[in-house]
Amino acid sequence: MKAITRRSTRIVAGLLAGCAILVAFAGPTIASHVHVSVATVDEVAIGETVAIPVALRGTDGSPLAGTVVTFYLHMAFAGVEGEAEIGRVVTDDSGVASLTYRPRLAGHHELRIEYLAAGAAEVETTSAVIEVTGGAQLYRSPAGVDVPGVGVELLMVVLATVWTILFWVVLRIVAIARAGGEAGEVGLEARR
Amino acid sequence: MAALNDWQERLEETALEPVRRTGRRFWAVVVTLVAIIGWGVYAYIVQLRDGLVVTGMRDRISWGLYIATFVFFIGISHAGTLISAILRVSNARWRTPVTRMAEFVTVVALICGASFVIIDLGRPDRLLNVFIYGRWQSPIIWDVLAITTYLTASVTYLFVPMIPDLALFRDRLADRSSRWRGWLYRTLAIGWHDRPAQRRSLGSAIGVLMILIIPIAVSVHTVVSWIFAMTMRVPWDSALFGAFFVAGAIFSGIAILIIVMAILRRAYHLEEYVTEKHFVYLGYLMAAFAAIMIYANISELLVHGYKLREGVEFHFRQLFLNEFAPLFWFYLLGGLIAPIVIALVPATRNVGGMVAAAVLVTLAMWIERYFIVVTGLRVPLMPYEPASYAPTWVEWSLLAAGLAAFALLITVFTKLFPIIAVWEVAEDHEATVANAGAAIPTVAIPAVDGPRLAEEGGR
Repeated sequence: MKAITRRSTRIVAGLLAGCAILVAFAGPTIASHVHVSVATVDEVAIGETVAIPVALRGTDGSPLAGTVVTFYLHMAFAGVEGEAEIGRVVTDDSGVASLTYRPRLAGHHELRIEYLAAGAAEVETTSAVIEVTGGAQLYRSPAGVDVPGVGVELLMVVLATVWTILFWVVLRIVAIARAGGEAGEVGLEARR
Repeated sequence: MAALNDWQERLEETALEPVRRTGRRFWAVVVTLVAIIGWGVYAYIVQLRDGLVVTGMRDRISWGLYIATFVFFIGISHAGTLISAILRVSNARWRTPVTRMAEFVTVVALICGASFVIIDLGRPDRLLNVFIYGRWQSPIIWDVLAITTYLTASVTYLFVPMIPDLALFRDRLADRSSRWRGWLYRTLAIGWHDRPAQRRSLGSAIGVLMILIIPIAVSVHTVVSWIFAMTMRVPWDSALFGAFFVAGAIFSGIAILIIVMAILRRAYHLEEYVTEKHFVYLGYLMAAFAAIMIYANISELLVHGYKLREGVEFHFRQLFLNEFAPLFWFYLLGGLIAPIVIALVPATRNVGGMVAAAVLVTLAMWIERYFIVVTGLRVPLMPYEPASYAPTWVEWSLLAAGLAAFALLITVFTKLFPIIAVWEVAEDHEATVANAGAAIPTVAIPAVDGPRLAEEGGR
């Protein structure tokens, strides 16, 4: 009796494990009813504008128009890591959502692309990688408001005025010294 | 006439006394100060060897004790400008016995303040970067230009009115002092013989300098404030900063001047010339500037607090309630309110009271500068934990050395140069006696020949 029970238990456990493996492999295929394709983006340089097209099609091959596709970029700054949303595009009639992206940092850029197809219960994701090269400095502060006459020239005029007055004071000191010298000579002559 | 001559003789002797006699106490003070400076030099060598990592400064709080002390010293350098230039322009005669000390304080404070910027750089050779890579658009460059101009003008303003007194030293100490001293006074007196032409040149030079130095001094502390105000930090985001810094500078300058006056008065027995009146008048000025500072603080804090932009709440909490609250409340109550109370209450309106108020103000204003620098940088720019900063022994040692250097330079100056503007005090005294004579016709006062230097300067 005990042997029969043990065998039954093993069979049930084996069947359950088999089902679990089957579900694990086939699950996503069963759940997903969208075919997604992301066009490969070649190496781009900093500042170069690149299009990242994502095509969504249903299981029957028809384009999924009007689906919102969100693009996230993995970033790390000052010890903080996370994903930043870099754009959101709606697929057109041909089921393509193309994000125009201008990378500002060199390196390996990992993008996560998220979409919720019509009729789908859960958000689905895919990913893309872009290699960005170069070292161009894109951030330039704006020129500001150019007020005529206010600038380095004004600073120079102020400085020149102050130092000219100081130089005039030095000339007064020289005048004191010269007057003292003349007084000394007069005194010497008087003594002679 | 004989009384006037006696008075003049006594005044000259008092001015010459520190140069003639040097007691043991002087050398004890010098040795102590040199020892403190020596310890500071050791700390600086440690900093040079190991880098700025020996300080408490890190990436988030990158300015600390050094920059706070730099701002403090530049602030107290305004003592000379206010007392000497503003009071000279306004022809306030009571200023004469204290002008020279104020001008000493200015020059010495500027030298000490500028050295703290070099200390803060870590590697002093980086100073060259200011000249190699400096941009005219940078407030740092404006600061360098303003401070060098102010130092040049202050040294000139110290020297020019001292020429007649240096001539007095040259004549009175001839053959009675060492060779190098004789040479020093002969050279610096530039042949002064009290000729009318010399008087005219001296008067016009002082007249121009006293007007010129006021806007230069104002520009210096305004530009120092812009180093903060033009940085993207919420607590420093203020258009009032320039005026706030200038008021604070004059405020702390008066306080340091009162302390220096009290020490020199006692050390060199200047009671006849530096009287209680001078302390009380300066105390009134200090109280007036305390009121201006209270107004500036209310305006600054209320506007920031009313809008409460991101980061201001954190800043207010750290100042009023949390980490810095005890010292901040000391600054407000002990540094701003107490000096006004001390100046207003008749019982404390004396030398001791004014010196106590000056000490409170000096401490409070150093704390205020520390808060401006450190608490401003402590407000997080991003959602991370606020950084902490605590000065290390290296920073405290260099602060002590800086203060000792300040005291030592003043001490050495008093041993080399006249600490009282003898000719100005004498002219002021003559004028007072003459006025008294005019009021009481029975006393005959002889007319003073020639143009009066102080009046020429005033013109």
